[in-house]
Amino acid sequence: MSYPLVWVNDLTFRYRDRAQPAIQDITFEAHAGELLLIAGASGCGKTTLLRCLNGLIPRSYKGELKGEIRLDGKPIAPLPLSRISQIVGTVLQDPERQILGTRVRNEVAFGLENLGLPREEMLQRIDEALCYLGIRHLRDRETFYLSGGEKQKVALAGVLAMRPKILLLDEPLASLDPASAQETLRIVRQMVDEGMCVLMVEHRVEDVLKARPDRVMLLEEGRIRYLGDVAGLYEVVNYREIKLPALEILKRARHDPPLPVLRVLPSVRSGANNDRAPLVRFERVSFGYETKPDVLREVSFEIHRGDVIAILGANGAGKTTLVKQAIGLLKPTSGRVLVNGVDTRQLSVAEIARTLGYVFQSPSHMLFAPTVYEELAFGPRNLEHPPDQIEKEVREALEIVNLSGKEKEPPLALSFGQQKRVSIAAILSMRSRILIMDEPTAGQDYRNYMEFMDAIVQLPNIEAILFITHDLDLAITYANRIVVMSEGRLVADGAPQEVLGDAERLHQWRLVPTSLLRLNLEMLPASGKFLRAEALAHLDSPGVREG
Amino acid sequence: MLVAWRYRERRSLVQWFDPRAWFIFYASFLASTLLFWDFRFLAAFALVALLVLLTSGITWREMRRPLLFIFAFITFFALLTFLTGRGGIEVYRQEHLIGKVVFPFSLFGWQPTIHVTWERTFFALSQFLRVFSLACMTIVIPYTINPAHYGITFRGLGLPDKIAYAIDLTMRFIPTFGRDFQLTLDAQRARGYELEKIRGGLIAQVRKMAPLIIPVTIHAIIASEDIIDAMDLRAFGVGPRVWLETLEYRLRDKLLIGFSIFLFLACLTLSFFSYGKFWVPPVF
Repeated sequence: MSYPLVWVNDLTFRYRDRAQPAIQDITFEAHAGELLLIAGASGCGKTTLLRCLNGLIPRSYKGELKGEIRLDGKPIAPLPLSRISQIVGTVLQDPERQILGTRVRNEVAFGLENLGLPREEMLQRIDEALCYLGIRHLRDRETFYLSGGEKQKVALAGVLAMRPKILLLDEPLASLDPASAQETLRIVRQMVDEGMCVLMVEHRVEDVLKARPDRVMLLEEGRIRYLGDVAGLYEVVNYREIKLPALEILKRARHDPPLPVLRVLPSVRSGANNDRAPLVRFERVSFGYETKPDVLREVSFEIHRGDVIAILGANGAGKTTLVKQAIGLLKPTSGRVLVNGVDTRQLSVAEIARTLGYVFQSPSHMLFAPTVYEELAFGPRNLEHPPDQIEKEVREALEIVNLSGKEKEPPLALSFGQQKRVSIAAILSMRSRILIMDEPTAGQDYRNYMEFMDAIVQLPNIEAILFITHDLDLAITYANRIVVMSEGRLVADGAPQEVLGDAERLHQWRLVPTSLLRLNLEMLPASGKFLRAEALAHLDSPGVREG
Repeated sequence: MLVAWRYRERRSLVQWFDPRAWFIFYASFLASTLLFWDFRFLAAFALVALLVLLTSGITWREMRRPLLFIFAFITFFALLTFLTGRGGIEVYRQEHLIGKVVFPFSLFGWQPTIHVTWERTFFALSQFLRVFSLACMTIVIPYTINPAHYGITFRGLGLPDKIAYAIDLTMRFIPTFGRDFQLTLDAQRARGYELEKIRGGLIAQVRKMAPLIIPVTIHAIIASEDIIDAMDLRAFGVGPRVWLETLEYRLRDKLLIGFSIFLFLACLTLSFFSYGKFWVPPVF
């Protein structure tokens, strides 16, 4: 057996400004040619462990560090970052946060320039890294205009060019469309097979299984709860906390009581309002920027009461631009968008916001208030809701996102996952009739996002929901209508079973079938529609079909 | 992620030179312009700046918005100078009247009157030309200098690695800040926030800007930390850097540097012997 490339003994770290350690008593080793998956809920210490391994702790993040780490047989405590960075390479969660160069070759060269390598060797290593990842053709392109998947590969090339023996990947799939995620996993497996030691943090466990991890480490509240092979993980993990393959959930859920039936959009089901006019109508909407003229091409579709629409599509397909047209932040260059029958050109964004609430992708672009309460009250106050109503709206919104009790805390001091939930609650408190969410589950762990999605689709006042996602299973679980965007065009619109049934078309749209999709397609004759795996497990129970 | 300016390769005078040589010329031009208040001297500088702008290869569509904004800004301040005579007292002591504009109404017994003098007029015109020249020379830089060359340009001008890379990042931080501001503005507008409805005194107005100022600031801090982490993880600052990009001086670059040095020394000498001071036509 080879000697361990990563050797960690009794590692504990507490951040300077926190009372409790972020990780405790961590002991493990990893070898050359091994892929170790590190899984766990938000805040379990995954990122802290990576920071200890790549040397940012304690060099950039101060605190109390105990225990020992050896990389490639050498204790890293006395090593400078420059030396550590040649043994271990790190790819951060969002490649956008890592890319520094304006052009691909400058980005890949950055680490090599810092190491002071001769120029000829740099050029050779750049070419090697780019060829290895199959992106030689991007060499002279501007990094800003690359797609999400291309950016991920360029960030990886920048790290590989430094020829590390160990690679740390922090949620590498988080911002990728399914096809790009699959390609990343293929490359990771190839590197492992060629002898690299890869530690991958990811809570999309099911997706990572495609890269055949050799072992899995499950972290819980900073400690190792499980370390062993994938099959063993299934024994210890709660399938409602960590996302497992659909068949595994199906097997396990059969022994548990069925989930309560979801009452999706109850205000619509109650028939209180029988108005059949579309809430939002896109009429041959085209839009473009000076630098990119065809972001949207003649898109026509309608949002009706009762719709829960998932918008799918590759990075850069025009999904976000499409929903920004609905809220009036962008106006069509041709065609028109009607909200409640009125052209958005004649409405201010604030007027549209009374009907349509839009949750942005990044919470850091909107959070500003000194307390969570003030943050949530901001929207309703702008819309001039009465004060006693605002209090009720804030309280209910906090309950939905599971943040009750945090009213007085500053939102900017919360974790990223909690900030994301505050940003959703800040829109929910406005009580708009239509809710639009851009990647609502990004940065959230499985249990949290399933819980708040359950709560959102059952909100009493919402008449339609539209969400953009890369997560096909989220669309299968919650949407009753799927819209697919590709290169600025709306290429499919219909019920999930109609749109997602054809594997060939999915491939064209850069969507990758999941185990839940396959299971649903198999069981469609019995179920009649797409359901989550837990519901499929109890298909013969009464009430499930109505869910 | 840092946003790059709208650079592309153009058939232009600026791009004909090495960026280091151009920055030396730019610095010399700026320093020389600031030595003078003479309308005739400044007119010559403005002509050169206009020539640089017109030969820059930047299309009217590309530069329309920033140029019109700058033009409106300069015109506003030049007009303010003309109407109030502010600032001129430092360069002239006497004023010679061209005429008076008396407004046909009075406010609480005071009848507004503008004294149009030769000195005020030429001071405002000189001020306009000065700022116009500097603006024209500055606006072409982001459109014509390759962002991949920012760092090596400043390193090549003799600055240490860390400072050169810091300037590189700072230059790219400006458009990034603009993008983040727009994203925040959009996010808050979607919550019913209307910038145009902000009322009240100065402090109240600043407080009501908090929904924009705080997220943009916080985002800038987070982005800076990310950049620092990304740089640390790839061994930045551990020793002397070898820059991938290289720049070679050609004859024309050396000539431009020589001319820049000559221009500055000549202007300094002229200024030393009191040439180029404030000037008005000898009509009185």
